Amino acid sequence: MTAAISSRESILGRIRSAIQTPGMGLADAAVAYGALPRGYIQAGKLSREGTIALLIERLREYDAEVVECTPEELPAAIAAQLAASAKHTFVAPPGLPPSWLATGFDWKIDNDLDTAEIEKVDGVLTAATCAVADSGTIVLHHGPTEGRRVISLLPDWHLCILLASQVVETLPEYFDRVEQPPALATYISGPSATADIEMTRIKGVHGPRFLHVILVRDPDSPTQAPAMRPADTAPHKGR
Amino acid sequence: MTQSVADHPILDPRFAPPFPQAVLPVLRNPQLRKNVAHAIDVIQAKRGRLVAEKTDWQELRTAGSALRAHVLENLGTYLEQFESRCTAAGGHVHWAADAAEARQITLDLLRQHNASDVIKIKTMTSAEIQLNPFLEAQGVHAHETDLAEIILQLGEQEPSHIVVPALHINRSQVREIFARTMGLKNLSDDPKELTNAARRYLRQKFLTIPTAISGANYLIAETGGVGIVESEGNGRMCLTLPQTMITIAGIEKVLPRFQDLEIMLQVLARSATGERMNPYTSLWSGVTPGDGPQNFHVILLDNGRSEMLRRPVERQTLKCIRCAACMNTCPVYRQTGGHAYGSVYPGPIGAILTPQLMHMHHAQSLPYASSLCGACYEVCPVKINIPEVLLELRSQVVNQERRQVGRVFDLMYIGLRMANFLFTSAWRFHLAQRLGRIGARLVTRKDGWIHSLPSIGGKWTQTRDLRGLPDQTFHEWWAARAKEAK
Ligand code: SF4
Repeated sequence: MTAAISSRESILGRIRSAIQTPGMGLADAAVAYGALPRGYIQAGKLSREGTIALLIERLREYDAEVVECTPEELPAAIAAQLAASAKHTFVAPPGLPPSWLATGFDWKIDNDLDTAEIEKVDGVLTAATCAVADSGTIVLHHGPTEGRRVISLLPDWHLCILLASQVVETLPEYFDRVEQPPALATYISGPSATADIEMTRIKGVHGPRFLHVILVRDPDSPTQAPAMRPADTAPHKGR
Repeated sequence: MTQSVADHPILDPRFAPPFPQAVLPVLRNPQLRKNVAHAIDVIQAKRGRLVAEKTDWQELRTAGSALRAHVLENLGTYLEQFESRCTAAGGHVHWAADAAEARQITLDLLRQHNASDVIKIKTMTSAEIQLNPFLEAQGVHAHETDLAEIILQLGEQEPSHIVVPALHINRSQVREIFARTMGLKNLSDDPKELTNAARRYLRQKFLTIPTAISGANYLIAETGGVGIVESEGNGRMCLTLPQTMITIAGIEKVLPRFQDLEIMLQVLARSATGERMNPYTSLWSGVTPGDGPQNFHVILLDNGRSEMLRRPVERQTLKCIRCAACMNTCPVYRQTGGHAYGSVYPGPIGAILTPQLMHMHHAQSLPYASSLCGACYEVCPVKINIPEVLLELRSQVVNQERRQVGRVFDLMYIGLRMANFLFTSAWRFHLAQRLGRIGARLVTRKDGWIHSLPSIGGKWTQTRDLRGLPDQTFHEWWAARAKEAK
């Protein structure tokens, strides 16, 4: 272990002697950091409707299937999607509202399920943390309603429930909403894909091949979406 | 590490032939050139469209450039912060001064976890330290999981690009490799079928091999987190299913804060693959109970990087986020593909990075593998002035060369020393001009042009003509004019 310690010291020593600003600590770095240019677009200019329309357009470009519904219609909309999938066994994270788990299907609730068991299910149902319209990105922070990373990875079919109030236009708007950086996060922009063979885009290499999204038209204020608003997001973050 | 098979490119800068020699087989291989040009045309067209739609592209570049420069100016501070936060989150941080140490730390960790097989997410850093052949020799089999990397590994080929490393291989060549190595006789060359073959081939490996190795796109100082961007989901598999994860990252990969991703993620995919966002981005900090690997190690690799910090011109090299936009736009890379660079880092970034990683002891021909057109600087999302670095490295190469004993009698250096002698004094210069004019008469033809020069000057006139020297220099004309005016 002594060798490792000395490499640490020698690397840091070389860095410090190369940059020649001794005494530079986190506090000084923070001052310089605060002065960095950030002239790029922060908040988007689209209306709520425009933002949602853009997100739907982007998701469809990625071959995701998108349907819209009201909060009251949601359980029925979920059931319809599940039925249309012609699949039977689904995995779900432990925090979903019971009304989402439509009857007539085989539900595996992920309380530390074995990988082998998750590998056998046909599909997965999760909520989301946020969505970014500009890039068609769905954000998962893997809380109780989004579940462990493995459940939205192994099944071939993913149904994701998104609230309209969770949709932002630009990526910086998402980062503004994050108060505490999450320990785990996955940003999904379209289904798994590769272009490694002659730049031909092929859908579905390892992740889910089919992404379905139900966009729920909830009231516009994030505070009015209690069940869905993940604990680790908040409307504002100081820079 | 000796490899001498002539038709196998040598991607070890210590043994690779110089660039002008290495390009010859490529230039004579029309299939390879066609494959490379096709792939690049596709990426370039997509990138062009998506960059054009981003109205704040230049502001993003400015922000990205300033952020990366700031990181390098405070690198020690941010690395220490990363180390303490990552450790607090349950990770283990190791420091490797060079490639050999990084390989050894990796091997020791694998031995600790009794790993005989390991799955890998595509990582340039591991290619840089030549990890796979080392592990193989130590009895650990590394399984690549990125589609392009599988093609290369099974086909025993070398990468030729940092984002799409198998772009020099076309579909029928992939079919041949998969059919042979996976025992699939009836495989067609449809990319969809080939991709499915890879999916099936890897599924069992993902589910059974408990140890994984990755690189990192970002280390986040504020959270101790690591970020990986990818397209296929092989990365998510490796980050989720195994029990042990070893991440090897260059020390320059650090970003100060989580929020900085809002810049990097907006420029990276657009520059790299011409997408608004890559399909999957994964972020994790240390260990999360019940989710993903429960043993997490980060190896911070120096391997020549800290030396590059010394001077601002060369330091820029470390701002790189490995998007490959510079090679996609480079007129030289387009003709040669990646192998001629003799390094896992080809193209303009390779031309400045590789010789510096070699402490300027190898790959000295690479700074010359450029027309200095500046296209790379223009596309670089973090505004690395690659031509400026190329010129600086060229001057270092020349300074090295002219001190070598053998070079003292080299005609070029004798000529340059003479020029230096003549150009540093006005009267010597004027005398030389007069003598030169007399000498030039001997080689100037009736049409006023010099079509061929003697000795090494002949190399210049091999491909171009020179205008003969005028009877009067500007200086003489000016002096004469002044006299007349009086
Ligand atoms: S030098 Fe710039 S353009 Fe080239 S790979 Fe690095 S970041 Fe991309």
